[in-house]
Amino acid sequence: MKLRSFFTLLFALALVAAACGSDADTSASDGSTDESASADGSAADGGSSGGGDIFISGSSTVEPISVRVADAFTADRPEVNTAVEGPGTGDGFQKFCAGETDISDASRAIKESEAEDCAANGVEFVELKVGIDGIAVMSGPGNPLSCLSFADMYSLTSPEAEGFENWSDANELNLEVGGSGDLPDAPLTITAPGEESGTFASFIEIVLEDTLDERGQEITTRFDYQSSPNDNVIINNVSSDDSSFGWVGYAFAEEAGDSIKVFEISEEEGGECIAPTPATIADNSYPISRDLFIYVNKAKAAANPDLVDFVDFYMDYGLKTAVADAKYVPLDDAAMAETVSAWEGR
Amino acid sequence: MAIAIKPVGGLTPANIGESLRRKPDLKGALFQFVMLFSLSISIGVLVVLLYTVVSDAWPVLSTRLGDFVTGTLAPDAGRAGISQGLKGTFYLCVIVAIVAFPLGIAAAIYLEEYAPRTRLSSFIEVNIRNLAGVPSVVYGILGLAIFVNGWGISALTGGRSPLAGGLTLAALVLPVVIITTQEAIRAVPSALREAGFGVGATKWEVIKDHILPYAAPGILTGTLLSIARAAGEAAPLLLVGTITGFISNSPGWFDVRQVQDKFAAMPTIITSWAKQPEEGFRVENAAAAIVVLVAFVILLNSAAILLRNRFEAKRAG
Repeated sequence: MKLRSFFTLLFALALVAAACGSDADTSASDGSTDESASADGSAADGGSSGGGDIFISGSSTVEPISVRVADAFTADRPEVNTAVEGPGTGDGFQKFCAGETDISDASRAIKESEAEDCAANGVEFVELKVGIDGIAVMSGPGNPLSCLSFADMYSLTSPEAEGFENWSDANELNLEVGGSGDLPDAPLTITAPGEESGTFASFIEIVLEDTLDERGQEITTRFDYQSSPNDNVIINNVSSDDSSFGWVGYAFAEEAGDSIKVFEISEEEGGECIAPTPATIADNSYPISRDLFIYVNKAKAAANPDLVDFVDFYMDYGLKTAVADAKYVPLDDAAMAETVSAWEGR
Repeated sequence: MAIAIKPVGGLTPANIGESLRRKPDLKGALFQFVMLFSLSISIGVLVVLLYTVVSDAWPVLSTRLGDFVTGTLAPDAGRAGISQGLKGTFYLCVIVAIVAFPLGIAAAIYLEEYAPRTRLSSFIEVNIRNLAGVPSVVYGILGLAIFVNGWGISALTGGRSPLAGGLTLAALVLPVVIITTQEAIRAVPSALREAGFGVGATKWEVIKDHILPYAAPGILTGTLLSIARAAGEAAPLLLVGTITGFISNSPGWFDVRQVQDKFAAMPTIITSWAKQPEEGFRVENAAAAIVVLVAFVILLNSAAILLRNRFEAKRAG
């Protein structure tokens, strides 16, 4: 008798949880007059998980673009189950090459090893460039420097710079790699993305790799800096100290406004210093910019007409509207036409 | 012969009354102050935390709480909602309750009442205690390997689904459920047990009519606290793979099929929003989602307290 009441209580617990649920559910029907109309549409459709689902994973940098495309696509086609996540370019390709995802977002081109992985699993794909992102190199708002060269950045962040705790520590190395060797005497604290980030990889690839190769160094950065996967943490750390150093995606730096100082960049020492702006990033005159891609699984596109519709929509709304909405730099007309024809010629 | 009274600590019958009146209890006062100080620090931290979160969340809470709770994931901060996350977390909790509670309580009853005190059983107990201290991300790896990718099991769970996540969280809280249940059973006075046996009850009758009802409040507290923990865990779910960007699918609350579909959960939505560059997501929406999750957990905890009080009243009466 008493035992029964005990188990009844366990059930009561489940009911309590259910009650919380139904509370929110009733408020759902109260509040869903205007905005959640599309949500209601798909709710009526239920949790059907047919073959027409679209699953996108990959770069967290490209994720906001794909989310916008998926959101707008769902408004027209609520019956298609669409899901977007952004664990990182590398993680995304791992799932993509295992055939788990339909589209992989990437903030860099696919690596050879990843392409081999895909080939081994029989996954064929089409690579589509969708937009451009710049990497902003920055310091605290009171930093007196205005322009950095690739040589300056190399002498501050390469593996050879390990142990440098002052900007001036880097001067000797700076001269060796073709810099002017006049970095100021100020403490150096670096906060930047860690290995898991596409921004980390892009920085190495664009800024460091050539010099690293030349000098027979391992292709990486110094390891003794504070790394964070969270761009806002990086910006916070950098903004709190006028002699700090760090780099993030351009969208994050632009959002941070005057709380940080974004350096102009020259590729060669003494060359033209160019500040990152949407225009300089789009025409590739700003030296540290990177292309953003989506990779579409060909076999899945052939088997799933909804996926084709989705990518068609991406080629239109995505390239023209979503890229800019997500604060990246849209492709110019020629590059856009190239992407569209790459998709059509798959 | 007169009894010689030795003075203790300088006290004699003559001055004992005086010492009671005059001497201020300095150490006692100091101790009380230290305790009060510790309490005010804990409460102060909580108040500061809640104040910052609520004030960050206020623009959302005051203008569009209903839409926020019922809306779906969206790219615009002003339109994004958490209904999918709430549903995901709700189903995770239900699965944890269904899986971890019966298993955990039964295991604890066996260990306390039936298991012989052998080296093996104490080895098992030590391991359960150790498991309760294993970092939650390790359970995430376990969940990814077994419930998401495990051969055969993935067909049942549907891969990255609430079912896989719920089973992972159930494994996470299972040791805690077992330990709290064991403690509750141990706290049953042995007189109660002996009285039962004394009137000729069988072991089963003693367990079901005396021990479990007496231990129920403690068991309930432990189990509900572990549900609250499961509701707030992000690390294992990051590995199991919740969706944080966008899901078009938003089935009804009681559409059970969603346990095998891709899902979102509150803690991972919060971690993902807190990383966005846009202030509307990073500050306002993330804080508002935290407030909703805290409310959800407080609701669960107060349910635990209410139920426990009811049991205790019953036991006393």
